[in-house]
Amino acid sequence: MSVETEGSTLKGSGGRRAVSLLARYGTLAGLAVMIVGFSIASPDAFPTFSNLVNIVNQVALTAIIASGLTVVLIVDELDLSVGFGASLAGVLVTGLMVRQDLPVLVAIVAVVLVGGLVGVVNSLIVTKARVNSVVATLGVGTILIGFNYAYSAGQPIAAGLPDSFFLISLGTVLGIPNNILIMAAVLTVLWVLVNRTDAGQRMQAVGGNAEASRLSGIRVDRVKISAFVVSGMCAFLTGILLASLIGSGSTDAGDSYLLDAFAAVFLGSATLRDGEFHILGTLVGVLIIGVAFNGLSIFGAPTFYQYIFQGGILVFAVALSTIARRYAQA
Amino acid sequence: MGLDPFLSVRGVSKSFGGVRALKGVDVEVLQGEVHGLVGANGAGKSTLIKILAGVQPPDAGTVLIDGDPVAIHDTQEAGRLGLSFIHQELNLVPKFSALQNMTLGLPKATRLGFIDWSATRREVGPVAERVGIDFSLDEPVGNLSVADQWLISIGRAMVRKARLIAMDEPTASLSAAESERLFRVVRELSDDGISILYVSHHLEEILDLCDTVTVFKDGERVATRERRSITKDSLVRDIVGGELAGTPQTSRPTAAEARPMLEVRDLRRGSAVRGVSFGLRPGEILGFAGLVGSGRTELARLIFGADRAEAGEVLLDGEPVRFRDPHDAVKHGIGLVPEERRSEGLVLGKSVDFNTNLASLPSLRFGKWLPLTDRRKSTGRAAGVAEQLSIKAPGVDTVVGQLSGGNQQKVVIGKWLIRDSRLLILDEPSRGVDVGARAEIHNIVRELAENGTGVIVISSEEEELIGLCNRILVMAQGRVTGELAGEEITKEEILRLSYARENGSEGGA
Repeated sequence: MSVETEGSTLKGSGGRRAVSLLARYGTLAGLAVMIVGFSIASPDAFPTFSNLVNIVNQVALTAIIASGLTVVLIVDELDLSVGFGASLAGVLVTGLMVRQDLPVLVAIVAVVLVGGLVGVVNSLIVTKARVNSVVATLGVGTILIGFNYAYSAGQPIAAGLPDSFFLISLGTVLGIPNNILIMAAVLTVLWVLVNRTDAGQRMQAVGGNAEASRLSGIRVDRVKISAFVVSGMCAFLTGILLASLIGSGSTDAGDSYLLDAFAAVFLGSATLRDGEFHILGTLVGVLIIGVAFNGLSIFGAPTFYQYIFQGGILVFAVALSTIARRYAQA
Repeated sequence: MGLDPFLSVRGVSKSFGGVRALKGVDVEVLQGEVHGLVGANGAGKSTLIKILAGVQPPDAGTVLIDGDPVAIHDTQEAGRLGLSFIHQELNLVPKFSALQNMTLGLPKATRLGFIDWSATRREVGPVAERVGIDFSLDEPVGNLSVADQWLISIGRAMVRKARLIAMDEPTASLSAAESERLFRVVRELSDDGISILYVSHHLEEILDLCDTVTVFKDGERVATRERRSITKDSLVRDIVGGELAGTPQTSRPTAAEARPMLEVRDLRRGSAVRGVSFGLRPGEILGFAGLVGSGRTELARLIFGADRAEAGEVLLDGEPVRFRDPHDAVKHGIGLVPEERRSEGLVLGKSVDFNTNLASLPSLRFGKWLPLTDRRKSTGRAAGVAEQLSIKAPGVDTVVGQLSGGNQQKVVIGKWLIRDSRLLILDEPSRGVDVGARAEIHNIVRELAENGTGVIVISSEEEELIGLCNRILVMAQGRVTGELAGEEITKEEILRLSYARENGSEGGA
């Protein structure tokens, strides 16, 4: 990390403050502009209650995987295995129910634990073998694709799934879709973890300055391991909910979550704080992407626009986060 | 030896912030002479070298080469003027061969657009022979010893037709035999009319090798003398300056004759710490003096568990302890205020509250099994310690990166006060700290000791140790060269012991 330069001459200057404000509230303003814009352009389809619930429901899964990823970024590492992990989770959870006849709840708990295990493997490679986390998690993620194909033979697992499994994603409580409630629960737990527990303080310390943390008596490796475990579990939970939503365990269903999650986390880091990763910001990032995609599909944009938008927003998000951090340097 | 000055430095000054690192110094290096440059830490040697190398411009004064004033804007310019610099880190590319390193960045003979290595080899060959390279030029530099790497660095300067080579602490990691070989090369170069600016802490070497010696102290040139008119004692006197009389002592109570809380026995790690033993009693302030690189910081890191000792024992209250990492040391009540405050002591982007509580997180819980932190307790503690140490900040939520050096240092100390550390190690506690905060920090340290905390202070400023410590151990080259207590503590004694060589490892406990 090289987040320390002398910038005292610039400190507090008007231009600097303007850029900082723009970065902090720019993402929120962008979200508001999009919502207003889409509402004016498509008053019948966009601003309806059911469409707004639909948007939140669609982004619920992205929000869960992205907030797990946020925790890894808080300790200053990366996890590129989350998308592939989500795909494997969908295949595993359906397979365990169909082939091993495990009860729904048992299968779900088992798969979430496997997600935690993947996090342990990722983190041990990063902390003990000192492999850069980009390489380590890309490698582990690719190995997960291999396991995925070995288990599923590339075929979706759909036949024989119990109805109760579909109900997880399709059910509602008091009119609110379950996925939204699950998302709210996961995000609340992670927010409390990061902001209100000593484990979370350690994570923030390690991400801020690992050496100073170590010399303050913090076991840096353990903190990183726990962050990767959180990320792995969130990724696998997302995969389970996705399988429930689409009604099958499909080999590559979760892959595309990786890019969306990254874009959301980096957009979020530029929200309200200067390039610092945080759970609430990630939620804003997820909503921006969700609203934008929803708008694109309402206007019937061809598929290729979605890819261009997805790649563009990822680069834009990381650039914004980097700029915000540069201006935050004291 | 010619008598014309090759390099003249006249009235060169340089300030950093408010600190005047060089105050109008004059230095004259004759053609073909070996010119020694000595002085205590912070005397201004490195600053002069940086100015000559074109790394930093002087604030005032002129540099003349062959009598003509020159402006050295950058390192390339220095090279064109025939000035070459070899730093301790050597700046070689480990994977490249000796030949590649010696010709790095030089235009080379080409054939059909490709580098003609055999022509390059023919050019470099005589230079290699001249500096005593007796190994294959194709050997990757990473496989060679530090001594051989020095020869390559000198060869590199020669290939560039250097007329003056500045060497910074060349023997720091060389054995006696290797040093001797390097000295031979240096003498031959000097016979051939090349000037050498030789920077070293090792006075024996200086006396052995140099024709002329210039002494810096506090940014000023104290003296330039010819070799035959100096002795080691006169050199030390010059380095210490006019403060030969023992600095007046305030009453110096020796700590109660309690049994030591910390005992260190024959601690070793590589060439940095070579068998150090001492004891520390509760309430005692023990100073570690010595030159930069004498092993003091490394010793502190070994005690704190930040690095692993290769041999030796640490005992706390008579019980042997073995710390796997700083976590263990912190659990046993030890705190470290590290040398590099910004990179090792603080999470700069976080608040005073966050940083002061960093070593005491579990105790912020509402209950042992309820992992939620009590933020009021956290803020209350931070505010308490901020008041106790008079940390000047708008509030405990102020980001520490925005505080002054002195207040940042107080935050680091506050972290260990909240933890109730009973043994505190402070490494260069007043570096980059203004005078007022420095006095405050000293008072805090005295107060802690009065309340029974054992304190170790590492400092390169003799005055700081003299004013603060009950007892001082002086280190040189990884060993304790002497112990001073009470009336024996004078700046002169500290410096004499700092320059002592191979005096055995006794001295403590």
